[in-house]
Formats: sequence, C-alpha cells, structure tokens
Amino acid sequence: MNFLSLQSLLIASALAIPALLLLYFLKLRRQERKISSTLLWKKAVQDLQVNAPFQKLRKNLLLFLQLLILAAVLFSLGNPVANMTKTSERNIVLLIDRSGSMKTIEEDGQTRLDLAKNTAIDFVQGLKGDAKAMVIGFADRADVICSFTDDVRRLVRRIEGIEPTDGPSLIGEALQLAVAYSTKIATGGEGWAPGSVETADIELFSDGRIADAAEEYVTRGKMTYYRTGLAADNAGIVTFDVRRELEQPGVVSVFAQIQNFGPGPITSDVSLELDGRMLSVQEVNLGPASLATTRPTDLSLAENPDALPSSQNVIFKLPNEAGGVVGVKLHREDALALDNLVTAPIDPPRAIRVLAVSDRSKILFWLKRAFVTSMEIEDYTEMSTSEYEKADTADLSVEGRSAFDLIVLDNHDTDRLWPGNYIFFGGLPKIEGIERGENVDEQYFVNWRESHPLLRYVPLDEKVYVIKWKRLKLPDHALKLVEGQDSTVMAFISDPGHRYVISAFDLMESNFRWQPAFFIFLQNAVMYLATGGLTDTGRLVAPGDTITLPVPPGAEEATIRRPDGSTDEIDVKNRTTATYAKTRQCGLYKATFDDAKDTTESYAVNILDPTESLIAPNNQFTIGADEVKTVTGEIKANRPLWPYAVGIALVFLIFEWWVYNRRVMI
Amino acid sequence: MADVIASTHPKKEDDSLLDPDFMTRLEQLEIVSRKIHASRQKGERRSRRKGESAEFADYRNYVRGDDLRHIDWNVYARLDRLFLKLFLEEEDLNVSVLVDVSKSMDSGEPSKALYAKRVAAAMAYIALCNYDRVTLCAYHENIVGFQQGLRGRRMMPQVVKFLDEIPIEGKSHFAVAARQFALRQTQKGVVLLLSDFMDKGGFEAGFRYLLGRQMDIYALQILSPQEVEPDLTGDLRLVDVEDEDVAEITVSKLLLDKYKANLQAYCESIRQYCTQRGVSYYLAITKHPFETLVLNYLRQRGLVR
Repeated sequence: MNFLSLQSLLIASALAIPALLLLYFLKLRRQERKISSTLLWKKAVQDLQVNAPFQKLRKNLLLFLQLLILAAVLFSLGNPVANMTKTSERNIVLLIDRSGSMKTIEEDGQTRLDLAKNTAIDFVQGLKGDAKAMVIGFADRADVICSFTDDVRRLVRRIEGIEPTDGPSLIGEALQLAVAYSTKIATGGEGWAPGSVETADIELFSDGRIADAAEEYVTRGKMTYYRTGLAADNAGIVTFDVRRELEQPGVVSVFAQIQNFGPGPITSDVSLELDGRMLSVQEVNLGPASLATTRPTDLSLAENPDALPSSQNVIFKLPNEAGGVVGVKLHREDALALDNLVTAPIDPPRAIRVLAVSDRSKILFWLKRAFVTSMEIEDYTEMSTSEYEKADTADLSVEGRSAFDLIVLDNHDTDRLWPGNYIFFGGLPKIEGIERGENVDEQYFVNWRESHPLLRYVPLDEKVYVIKWKRLKLPDHALKLVEGQDSTVMAFISDPGHRYVISAFDLMESNFRWQPAFFIFLQNAVMYLATGGLTDTGRLVAPGDTITLPVPPGAEEATIRRPDGSTDEIDVKNRTTATYAKTRQCGLYKATFDDAKDTTESYAVNILDPTESLIAPNNQFTIGADEVKTVTGEIKANRPLWPYAVGIALVFLIFEWWVYNRRVMI
Repeated sequence: MADVIASTHPKKEDDSLLDPDFMTRLEQLEIVSRKIHASRQKGERRSRRKGESAEFADYRNYVRGDDLRHIDWNVYARLDRLFLKLFLEEEDLNVSVLVDVSKSMDSGEPSKALYAKRVAAAMAYIALCNYDRVTLCAYHENIVGFQQGLRGRRMMPQVVKFLDEIPIEGKSHFAVAARQFALRQTQKGVVLLLSDFMDKGGFEAGFRYLLGRQMDIYALQILSPQEVEPDLTGDLRLVDVEDEDVAEITVSKLLLDKYKANLQAYCESIRQYCTQRGVSYYLAITKHPFETLVLNYLRQRGLVR
C-alpha cells in the first residue's frame, strides 16, 4: 500500500484531532445550576434513555456528524482522483526542456521551466497506480532525472529539483535515453526482444524551440508535446567575436550582432564594457522579427511589415594594450535576460611568431617573401626538418602550447605537435585517422570553399595548377577546403588545441608558390590561425561545449573558477591538454594551474544561439517529418479529490458546531 | 436566567402578606366545607345537632326530663299535648392550614414559599372572620410550627407572626409531617394543604394519614413558572437544593418536552389521586397574582364563597 498523499493525511489529522478534542472538552464542561428538585429531571433523562431504541444514535446527531466528518477524512486519505482524462496505463517518459530559452520569464513572473515543471507535476499526479514514469531533463545534454518508478512523490520531488541551464536545446540524446530505458523496463532489463516490447510514450514539456528537432525522429512510442509559455518579446546578441587587428595590435575589434525576436520594433542601447566599465554605447533600431521566425499564427505582422531589419551588426573599436574582459550588453528588459550580455577575455597584444620548416631553399625563399617581405612579420624563424626534430622542447613550446603562432612544414611528417596551428605542404601530422594514399595525376580543382576565412579572396582559378597530389585518408570531421575530381586537395582539421591545414600536394609540384593566391592564402592563414578571434582559438564556447585547456609542462592540478564563484579541480598530471565540460552556465571561466596566478587562462561561455533567443513558443512541433500532437493550456490531468473531501469534512464540522449551539440555545 | 431566589423570607414583605384592601374583600368570603362537622363550641355554622339558634328546625314529643322552656305552649293549647319546639344548632368550624416550608419552596420567581404564606394568611383571615377555629401548621421533614385555637379576626396578627417567623429550610417529608399532624389534630374539619409536592418520598402516604381522620381536604399545589417552563440551556449539572442530588443533562428540545410531559403527568397523578378520594386539588403557578387565585380561582372552584 502506498501513502500517495501523506501530506493530506497529516492535514486531515491536524484538522480532525483538535476538532474532536475541542468537542470533547465542550461536552465535558457542565455548568452547575441549583433547582428546586431533580425529581422530574431524572425521570425525564431516564425516560429518554429507556424509551428510545435508537437513543444512542438519535441523541447524538453530533455523533452522526462526527462520523460523516471521519468518513470524509478517510475518503480523502484514499487519494481519490476525478477521471477528467483517460490516463495512459502505459509507461511514460517525461522529457523536460531545461535549455536557456526555458529561463524566459512569463507574465506571472514564473520562468518557463517552472511552468513546464508544474505541468509535468500535474501530469505525473494523474498517473494511474501501476503506470511507471521516468523523467529526463535535456538541454545540450540529456540527464536522467528520475528513472522509471511508480512513486509519484519521488517523481514530483525530482521534477521540482530540476535546475535550468544556459545550454542549447538538443533532443537527440534525450530520445536515445528514452528509448533505451523504456526498452529496458519493458523487457525487465533482459534486453530488447522484438515483438514483445511495449515501449513507453514520450511526453515533451518544452517551448518547442529545439535545434535538432528536424534531424531526430521518434522510433517507438507516441510523443505528445506540451507547449509551455507565451512570451515572445526578446532581443539578444546572437553573434559575437573579438580580435586584434593584424596591422594595429593595440586595437581590439569587438563585433556583435543584435537580433530582435519579438513581434514589435525595438530601440535599445548596446554598450561596450571592459572589466565592468562602460566604454561606449551605440543605439540599435530593430524591426519586428520576420514572419518565419515568429509564431506562424501571428498574421498581423504580414499586414504591417516594418521597414527596419530585425538584426543589426555593431562594431566597437577598442584601444587596448593590457588585456581584460570585454563585454557587450544590450540594455533592454525583455523576457529572456540571458542573451543580453556576452563577455570574452582578451589577451595583451603580442608579436606573431612564425616558423617555417623546410629542407628546400626555394620553398623557404617564397615563404620568407610572403611572411617577412609582404606581411612584415618580425619574428620569423626558419629550420630544417632535422633541426625541428632535434630542437629542445623549450624551443618549440611555452607552457604546453606551441611557441609559435603558426608553423609551416614543407614536405615533412612529424609527431612533434604541441597545441597550435600547423600548415602542412606535402607532409602530414602523425595523428590518428590521417594517411597518405596513391598519387592522383592530371586532375584539376573542381570545388573550393571561397567563403572559408582561409580561402577568402584566394583566386584558385585556371592560373593555379598542380601536377599531382597524394590521395588522403582524412578523419570525418575534416573540412575539405579544395577538392579535385575524386579526391581532396586541401583540408582543414580542427582538433582540441590543434588546427591543421593539410595540403595534399608538394609545393614543388605546383605553381602555387609564386602565384598571388599563395600570398593571400598565407595572409589569411596568419589572420585566421595566428591572430584568430576567440571563437577560432576555442576560448569562446557555447554552453555545454568542452573547454580544452593547454597544460603547462609540470603542472599537476588545474583549478577552474566558475561564473558563480564555485571552483572545480582537474588532475592534469602528465597531460598536455585537459578538458572541462561543466560549462552549462554562461559567463567567464578562469583556469589556474597549481595555484599560480600568472598561469590564469580565461574562457567565455556565451549562449549566442538564435534558436534559444527565439523564445516565442512553437505552436506546431515537428520532429523528423512527423508532426507531434500538441497540448496547450492547462493540463486536464486527473485531479485529486482529497481537498474537496477535507472541505466537506470542514462543512460538516461547521454544521455540527451549529447544531450543537442550536441545541444549547433551545 | 433567574436562579433560585436566595431570599427565604424577606422581612419587608411580611407586612404586606395581605394588604388592607384585599383583607376587606376577604371578609366577605367564607370557607366552604362540604361536610358538616361536629364541634365543641358554638359558632356560626350549622351543626348536625339541634340547638338554640333562632332558626326553627322541628317538633318532637315531650319526654320526661326535657327542658320545659322548649315546650311549645301554643300547640299544647290547641292539641292538649306536649311538644317540644326544636331549633338548629350552630357551631364553629376547624380550619387547618398546612404549609410546606421545605427548601424546595424557596425557589422560583416569585417565590413559592411567599406565595404559599400569602395564601395561608388569606385563608386564615377568611376563617377568622367567620369565627372558625384556625390551626396553622408548617412542616418540612416534620412539623416545625404548630398553632391552634385561633378564633376571631383579632387573632390575625398572630397568624402573620407565625407565618413570618417560620424559616424555609430542610427536606420535605410530607408523610411524616401528615402523620404528626393527624396525631395532634383530632378534631375534624377543613384541611388546606399548600405544597409543591416535590417530595421524593411520594405524596400518597401523607394523604392517607389525613384522610384517615376524615378531614375535608383541599390540596393546593404551588409551582413556579421556572418549573413549568424551564429556561435552561446547554450542558448542565442540576443540583437539588434539598438533598444535593445531581442530575446531569444536555438540554435539548426532546428533553424539555419530556420534562414538561413528566410534570404534567405528575400533577395529573396527584389530581387523580385526590379526586378519587374526595380531596379537592388545585394547581397554582406563582406568576399569577395570588389575589386572583383567592378571589376568583378558589371561589370558582368552590373552596370559598
């Protein structure tokens, strides 16, 4: 037997026991009165007791009422519910969205997550006795909040304990977890047996703004979407980057894109802050969000199109030599405050160091012309391949990172790869997943990514030719920059801490080295790789993304100070890089190695996600190609009746009091 | 609600037991006895005996030894025979007033005891005015006051003094008191009994003692309005003023109805008992003025005329 409503039991006891005691005391307290004779009174009392067969019941209308009160209280203890809807007797998986957009504050002051939690609690309280439910909270990752159970109290407690995150909404992992757990529960944990599995239904409590909804699909069970929230008014910063000018290292360019997601035009101030001090303010005027990104039913927008664009870019130029934390703030009170502030750490300016590794003087000649003569890079070093392989670690690395901002290797394979940026012409980094294949002859470039920062304005037209190149086997995440007819000519690989540009051809097999394209390419490479913005260097990440920390040699422990002031410690002994993944909270994360103040590295976590900033709830939620049944408004779950029973008991109590007093007054 | 009246015999009211106007009206009344009793003294009531009043009764033959003064000489002249002329005899009447002065009489508003004393005084005054012989007797467990041989209206102050000085106290025990009274009062006559009859020992035995003396009994049951219509509410612990007996009640309409039915049945049982034995029974409730009781009610019911 389950006491599903222990609370009601306590409430009922607290009501009934003092009430009964009160009546008891009232009955006992008799007032003394002198009369001429008790002769007739005694006779009357005796007559009443003797003559009435149902005297005990009739005499005590009060007792009757007390019985009714007790019956009502006992009824309430049975936790009765009104079957307002047919509750599924199947197992249920509740998916509760706790992404950044669920922090939206609705009209009544509650956050969207609070509303979703209340709806979910209403739902689980209406579950039939033998139905089991589990709760999964998801944002960028999915967590099992409560595994399958029929203990409603436990479910409610766990749902109440769900905390919001700043992460984006990704439902894929949650769906996988739901299927995995429901298969397990359906088969008693013995694995999946085809045909015998009754999978759980999925109940999604969300605002329907889920980034990967189109890519996922529900394999088993039915999904129901409970739309949460109504607020739509929001503007946010959706893109943000900070970089130093290559020509003017003392000037920091801060770039931010402000977008309005609300239904009305807005005018707001955007300020630039450095270490909390406001330095500059710009005004933005934004039109209402375009129809496609707001509620589909809101047709009024189509009739009154606003001339203003819904997004605007803001660029600040900030003279800065000392570094610090730069922030851009949108001064506006809207439903979602999370996306109104972005921050980023900036480092003091430093001279760019480039290393060219080659055994061939022709190549070194062209490289030197490009870097020194053309780009005027002062710290330019040349090494032969053997010198590179024999060089001291201290010469090639500083605090676990590569000592150079860019290393160009000509026709050389190596595994001496400290975290940094590498360009391989004809050679390969000795890392897993990259292999060299057979020669590819007499082919030409079919496609190249002109929009990529590395190839921007690089004219790879018919003037550039390559006689032959090697067919490359590349990891899946490699980005193909230049492609031949059936093979990759140039690829870009971004691993944690490392970025590689791999060219499959030898520079000597091509006229590329003396073409203007080569100079533009190297200039792009220096700008993108060596002086890249924070996003490119992995120091500006999205909530939930992993931060990769380069570990200084000899460091044993890293301390991460989180935005809320708490700290986490990571063991980094004998490692060159460490990762930290608890980045669900937006703000600045500071890593310190072995409590040394001078080794502090800052990382900024900002939401920068138009999907989260678009808070207007999705009326029609589609997952994969299937439209999901949508439930809006208040959930008509099975309502518990015990409060009514207690109410009836109270009414009886008041009636009893009235009867008692009436009898006294006769 | 009015509690039991605490005062037993307020002094200031004693003087007004009977007011002069009322007494004047009482002088015109006389107590009616349904029986003709023999008495010892000449009075104003017709006796069974022939005597010397002015009212002619009968003739009878002269026998030797008769008083020659009573011979009707006119008849002797006509008939030449001796006849005695007989006249009706007039004697006085014994009027006894028994007043219950137990503690239970000390309740009610107005007080039952005061009411009883007033009735007693009025009846005594009527009797005294008619040259009846008045006996006053007060009792509770036994007789606590006894005065007899009062005759003539000049005795009225004694009557008032007697009634005034009798304290209201004790448990009532009518049977014991009636037995003692019957032993003391050997002469026949009218007995007026004033009581509430709230006697846990019962009323029948007492009546039997009085009836055994062949007295002409008038019973007046005196009840207070509070006894007839109790104004009680709530859970009560009722305490009997006489014997401290306790009855715990929760006042309800049912209980009150039952009480009233019981009271009515009790009064009815007394009335029936009395009627079957030739006793006149009257019920008086103290809220009615006692003057009305005496001048109207008792007159209509034939106790006085």
